[in-house]
Amino acid sequence: MTLVDLVEVCTLSEVPDGEGIKITIEGLPALAVYRVGEEVFVSDDLCTHGDASLSEGELDIEDYVIECPFHQGGFDIRTGSVAGAPCTRPIRVYEAWIKNGLVYIKKQDL
Amino acid sequence: MYMVTLQGTQEQFECKKGEPILRAGLRAGFGLPYECSVGGCGTCKFDVLEGQVEMLWPEAPGLSDRDKRKGRMLACQAVPLEDCIIKMRLDKECIPPVLPVNRSVGLIERYKITHDIEAFRFKSEGPAIFKAGQYALLTSPKIEGARAYSMSNLSNDEGIWEFQIRNVPEGLMTRHLFDQINIGDKLELDGPYGVAFFKNTGRDVVCVAGGSGLAPMVSIAKAFSEDPACKEHTLHFLYGARTPSDVCGEDMLQELAGFGDRIFYHAIVSNPETLTQDEWDGPVGLVHTHIYDVLDGNLQEYEYYFAGPPKMATAIDTLLLEKYDVASSQLHYDRFF
Repeated sequence: MTLVDLVEVCTLSEVPDGEGIKITIEGLPALAVYRVGEEVFVSDDLCTHGDASLSEGELDIEDYVIECPFHQGGFDIRTGSVAGAPCTRPIRVYEAWIKNGLVYIKKQDL
Repeated sequence: MYMVTLQGTQEQFECKKGEPILRAGLRAGFGLPYECSVGGCGTCKFDVLEGQVEMLWPEAPGLSDRDKRKGRMLACQAVPLEDCIIKMRLDKECIPPVLPVNRSVGLIERYKITHDIEAFRFKSEGPAIFKAGQYALLTSPKIEGARAYSMSNLSNDEGIWEFQIRNVPEGLMTRHLFDQINIGDKLELDGPYGVAFFKNTGRDVVCVAGGSGLAPMVSIAKAFSEDPACKEHTLHFLYGARTPSDVCGEDMLQELAGFGDRIFYHAIVSNPETLTQDEWDGPVGLVHTHIYDVLDGNLQEYEYYFAGPPKMATAIDTLLLEKYDVASSQLHYDRFF
């Protein structure tokens, strides 16, 4: 994977450990970037159930689950699969890369 | 009587002993988030901050193991044992358009619709006030818990509540309704509930029903037919049946002003393997796969209402949101799962 195929999302240091932040990049849907130790995960920020921002939800680091702040539905941030009602449709996730302290996602995933 | 306080806003409502927090909150006019109100959908989850609260149905499928670990509860199943403070984010979409009330109703009539769906008509003392597409919770002292059934008629001063119920062998309330109650017998009816009710938005309307999801869609078609503001609009009604003998609803629509002119009925049968052409020469397959064929033009221009089995609802939801990019605000259904 070369840098040409990647899109820079944010710096690793701006994502607090155990939390998510919202990143807006022109031309893309709003993204949520989560950090669990030295691992990062990226998903769409808008919940598939209601009009809520997942980056404002609670991140359960032990199960890699982001809980929607609206109805406490959940998604696995590694796969996007549903981890709790009332959500029924998976969230879109992007493969994330860290290089030189920067977080990237793959262009082809967009 | 216990006092329930919502953290943050400090708003309060009273909750009778044994009454679920969700129903008490809605009765008081608060927009507590919910869809099914019977433990299935998981929309009414909340945290208890102070006070003792008990879950009537601790195994309710709407709670995940993670929720249970965190001590979360479902407001539709939670009854306070003392004054309490809860944390729950209100949703203005869930503010009840008609405040739900518990009342006694008596069975006045029942008749067959198909081989396994029957209409049940109940009468209350006061008027029956609700929005088309809403449901009521029926309880009997002989059966634990409440069951949700959608009304198939419209609001009326006579106090008539009409339901179309499928005779399923395993349902306790269904067994009670079909086998045990007689004309004149009483049940408790609490309602109306439900957020997927008809609102005229100035768009053409699509109703999709499967199985006993017929009732709320028939009610919506009636409301559409009577609404002068809908005169210039169309309504397409799709009914998904398993076999030709399950097909129903067309006669109910034929009685409506505008049928064949701006109200159209389409039946689709999902189980063609067992069929010969003599039995059924209409469209076959899953009902959601016919939405595109039935509608004219851009699917984003319609308002969609649907009710039926969970698989059908999920298939419609996914198709319209992901394939046709319809805004989720144009999709209306209460998830009973």
